[in-house]
Amino acid sequence: MRNLTRDEAVWRFVGYSFVLLVTLLMIVPIYWIVVASTLPEQVFLSGGSDLQLLPGTNFLANLDALQAREGVDFIGSIWNSVFIAVVYTLLSLVLCSMGGFAFAKYDFRFKEPIFYSILATLTLPIQLLVIPLFLLISQMGLTNSYWAIILPWAANPLGIFLMRQNMKQIPDALLESARIDGATEFQLYYRIALPTMKSSLAALAIVLFLFQWNLFLFPLVVLEQGKYTIPVAINELVGAQRVYYDQIMVAAALSIIPLFLVFLFLQRHFVSGILAGSVKE
Amino acid sequence: MSTQSSNPIRVALDAVRTRVGRAVAPVWRSVIDAVRPLRQRQIRRTRAVAERVPFSVGVPYLFLSPFFILFSAFLAFPILYTVFLSFHRYQGVGSATLLWIDLGPVQFELTRIAQLEFVGLQNYQRLLGDALFQNALANTTFILLVQVPLMIVLGLALALALNASWMRFKGLFRTTIALPVAANLVAYTTVFLLLLQDNGLVNSVFGMVGLPAVPWLTGGTELLPGPLKSILGPGFWPRISLVGAVTWRWTGYNMIILLAGLQSVPKQLYEAAEIDGANRWEKFRYVTLPQLRPVLLFVVVTSTIGTFRLFSEPLIISEGGATLSATRTLVVYIYNIAFQQFQLGYASAMTVVLVGIVAVLSIVQLRVGGESDA
Repeated sequence: MRNLTRDEAVWRFVGYSFVLLVTLLMIVPIYWIVVASTLPEQVFLSGGSDLQLLPGTNFLANLDALQAREGVDFIGSIWNSVFIAVVYTLLSLVLCSMGGFAFAKYDFRFKEPIFYSILATLTLPIQLLVIPLFLLISQMGLTNSYWAIILPWAANPLGIFLMRQNMKQIPDALLESARIDGATEFQLYYRIALPTMKSSLAALAIVLFLFQWNLFLFPLVVLEQGKYTIPVAINELVGAQRVYYDQIMVAAALSIIPLFLVFLFLQRHFVSGILAGSVKE
Repeated sequence: MSTQSSNPIRVALDAVRTRVGRAVAPVWRSVIDAVRPLRQRQIRRTRAVAERVPFSVGVPYLFLSPFFILFSAFLAFPILYTVFLSFHRYQGVGSATLLWIDLGPVQFELTRIAQLEFVGLQNYQRLLGDALFQNALANTTFILLVQVPLMIVLGLALALALNASWMRFKGLFRTTIALPVAANLVAYTTVFLLLLQDNGLVNSVFGMVGLPAVPWLTGGTELLPGPLKSILGPGFWPRISLVGAVTWRWTGYNMIILLAGLQSVPKQLYEAAEIDGANRWEKFRYVTLPQLRPVLLFVVVTSTIGTFRLFSEPLIISEGGATLSATRTLVVYIYNIAFQQFQLGYASAMTVVLVGIVAVLSIVQLRVGGESDA
């Protein structure tokens, strides 16, 4: 190995220190969830002198206290959140892939105007349409139902755009030969297009799941007790008369740590999901 | 909406409508019968086309219609209706009938979505004199000016370091720094609330190294240097807390995008620059930055839009004890006006202004960033 010049050595030292410092700062809040959820509140909020930095054994007691809370069924809200996010993701994947298939592989009247009007909404912050959505959902009698937060964003403009971009790469000859073999148009979509789109679908699924998982404003408006999603339930805990941080940290741990594990296993798809929105042609 | 009404006039009207509906139904049916041969001719023509185009003309529409129906109902209509609402005063949920069709077994009623009173530009005029709106706009601007540059410089520096040929454990660092991307917005904000309590971890660590305890959530001017006291104001610390939390959540996200951008810069460009005797800074300035410009632009625009959308973090932080006047963002104020005071018209006007600001900023950024290489 060649000797480093002094300049290069300094750069490496600065680079490593910087990256290590940021990594440490990223870990501290995550570590603190683990510590605080496993200790009684008076221990980790006692102030400077006898600071406890290691996890304790109080997790189950904190969880029991959380479960005993009036008005907030936190475990129930996990179920609500998971159910809503999964149904939303599947529904949106079907809608976006079917629509994307139509745009990518067929010619039809009004194709361009329809496509560009969908594309135009990509530039709008669509989470901000809550006011008319609230009126619409109330009129449909859907308030306090799962559908109230599944339906409004199921037609995801980014999703249909990505599906169309990716499905354009399916060779026409492949579809043509399947047609000659007597495949119906739906079979072309279901048996040929979808299987070749597996990794794009996985990346889009993660984007959609996280979008729904993080929705807060609209669920806060339309959901009532019993139908709360995780963000709304945590909001109830934070807004309560007396705030119990040990219970809140149990709630935070249960809603954050599993997703971190999913992230570690599916990192490749997370990254392509993040990049999917940014790579525009 | 077929609620049983006790209003006698309503009952009478309903009865008339039902009769009209029943009377119309046979006519409707005969129209359908009359049209049937025409439709069959259409189908035959479609088959003729199908011999040239190997699928029925309706197929793409069938594929598209589920998406398109939901898109029209929940995206296109709300966009237009927000603008419409912004010229009205909201007076309650609508009940008046717009359209009512009775097809024998199938009945269909379309009701007015809300009771509204037209007020012209009043909502927009009110906006100009609303101190709380200006407060929310100022807070959002502060976050925009501090958080977006901070996060992008951090993300770019991390991406550059992790892209360096000599860096070891790249995967490990990248994964750890990107981990917050998976964190639920509301849940992670509660952790920051805890860390930033007066006797929380951050102040404990500050105490150990001899720094004073900072009022992260409640604010105050005691710790600010003299001349800056009046400029930064008592809301400085809560705003910084919000900036810190958001930066933690999104830096890794931007780092991933920037890293992908760096990796797509052709290696030959650096080699050519080295042959020309370019130093580290010159390579960054004349190769990396111009090559990275579109990606950097994307990151700036999406971060700006993200700032204007901030809701979960500021709401939770203020509920957890932070000064509301320091952490009230535009969307928090819109939520407040719309769903706690039910002034939907006024809140819609604010939404329109907010979307307008975002659009103008995006266009400006695209113009400035899209200039030809100097």
